[in-house]
Amino acid sequence: MKKLHLLSVLLLTLGGGLITLFTQAIAAEVGSGAEIINNNCARCHNSRPVQEFSTQEWSVILPHMREKAHLTGQETETVMDFFKTLSGGPVKNVADVATMPVMDGGALMKKFGCQGCHSFNGKGGALGPALDNVVAQRGGEFVMKKLTDPQFNNPSSAMPKMPLTSAQINVLVGFLGKK
Amino acid sequence: MHTNIVKNHSIKLISCMSAYLISAASLAQPYDAGEQGRFVIAGYGDVKYEESDLLDSSAFSARFVPIFLFSLNDKMHVEAETEISLNEAGETEVELEYADIHYFLTDTTTVTVGKFLLPFGQFSANFHPSWINRTPWTPGIYGSHGSAQAMTPLLPILSDVGIAVQQTFFFTSQQKIFLDLYVTNGARAEAHNDGDEIIEDHAEDEEVVDEHTEAFPEVEFAATSGDNNKNKAFGGRIAYAFLPAIEIGASYYTAKYDEEERLSITAQGMDINVIGSRYLIRGEYILTETDGLEEADEHAEETINAFKRNGWYLQGVLQAGQIWPQLGGTELVVEYAKTNKFAKAKRWVAGLNYWLDPRSVIKFSYEETDIEEGDGDQRLAVQYSYGF
Repeated sequence: MKKLHLLSVLLLTLGGGLITLFTQAIAAEVGSGAEIINNNCARCHNSRPVQEFSTQEWSVILPHMREKAHLTGQETETVMDFFKTLSGGPVKNVADVATMPVMDGGALMKKFGCQGCHSFNGKGGALGPALDNVVAQRGGEFVMKKLTDPQFNNPSSAMPKMPLTSAQINVLVGFLGKK
Repeated sequence: MHTNIVKNHSIKLISCMSAYLISAASLAQPYDAGEQGRFVIAGYGDVKYEESDLLDSSAFSARFVPIFLFSLNDKMHVEAETEISLNEAGETEVELEYADIHYFLTDTTTVTVGKFLLPFGQFSANFHPSWINRTPWTPGIYGSHGSAQAMTPLLPILSDVGIAVQQTFFFTSQQKIFLDLYVTNGARAEAHNDGDEIIEDHAEDEEVVDEHTEAFPEVEFAATSGDNNKNKAFGGRIAYAFLPAIEIGASYYTAKYDEEERLSITAQGMDINVIGSRYLIRGEYILTETDGLEEADEHAEETINAFKRNGWYLQGVLQAGQIWPQLGGTELVVEYAKTNKFAKAKRWVAGLNYWLDPRSVIKFSYEETDIEEGDGDQRLAVQYSYGF
């Protein structure tokens, strides 16, 4: 009986190890920060505005949410990096913003993870509305206002205020308007 | 015989957890959160106005629920939630909802020790904070302190003291399996004020007696730093998540609740959470089986009867503002809950919510409860809930 018990513990140890190896091996395919937020946070609650907390505060809150939402460590780190891009680090520095390249619309969408929450060209999240015809349907001025102040038309909108320059907003609106 | 089986199960479960932790620890990888903070207070609170026909009263109430978060290092994280509220006598009540430490053993494995919310279903662990819950009430099959609802719940919001292991099986960023296992002090027989255990004779207050006058056993789930026997509760939840649209889970809980470890309570649950861009659907089914001693005369042996109850709820939320932008953060909520056997009841809830921002909501809700053998209730509530 004891031998059987030891054998089962040994098998479980090996099994657990193999499962952990397997899950760690494929864990490299984590999505973007915005996609992880879209996929996981909205399961329970509205996404909180990233500006609500500092990056240091997020670094304490995210481990709490990691356990609640069953996030992996890599996913947690990716979300943290996304939050830093949105609200911390050099993007809040006026000098750095001024020297940031304008980029093209596609590159800006990728940098700020728009498709984590919005679909575009058939790809992306469902947390926000599709962007394919957003300029045609709502007008360029609306999209410009939305990017400048995401809560201007809906106080419960979870869309974060991206640290975009006026030039970058114009590029994005132009890019979305070409569709 | 049954006691031995449960003991063996507990030993096996602890062995399994230990074996798994040994294997996982050998593969541990550090988690680097970068610029690290140390302490944050988050949480939620609410203010509610409620009218109840059954209670024949209307009242304002308020709660403040701070969550204290400490990041000790990149592998250890401490969390504690306290609920501070006023009772009907005007006294301030403080309850420890949970107080635990997470150890992030690997990228996908987390060990939690302390007092924690048991991962049984989704409402207990995830949906109960008032800024997340879409109505001002628990869903009818769940009870909680301060909840004087007309329906007799199947389970309270479960929290207990012990150890838990969480494993996320990560297949793609959109497909995961969540596994949670735990061992805790467990439930115990409800006691009189003088400390005697009560197995029967309590039916008239909260539990309804069936037609054969058998009394439903009363079991106390409130967590304590002690136990009335050596048996430990164990259970867990396994869920498949196809993100971001759907999560389906199955839960299990079992414990011996009397001093002699003859009587057990077992609960099984199924839960579903469907997340659309314009709607939410949340539902749970629970089946409980509770052993009770049948009163015997002087010459007969006591016999153990199993009392089975089941119930479910289904909640639908239509995010109207996503369909008609001029409605902003307006949501429409409908919920139906039903319990069977020993306390048959059903409850409808209809609600209108308005989100002031992503973390604060005003809920206007009406509920109507029909109890088959007892007094029903109609309630109206306006609740302002906020997360912070």
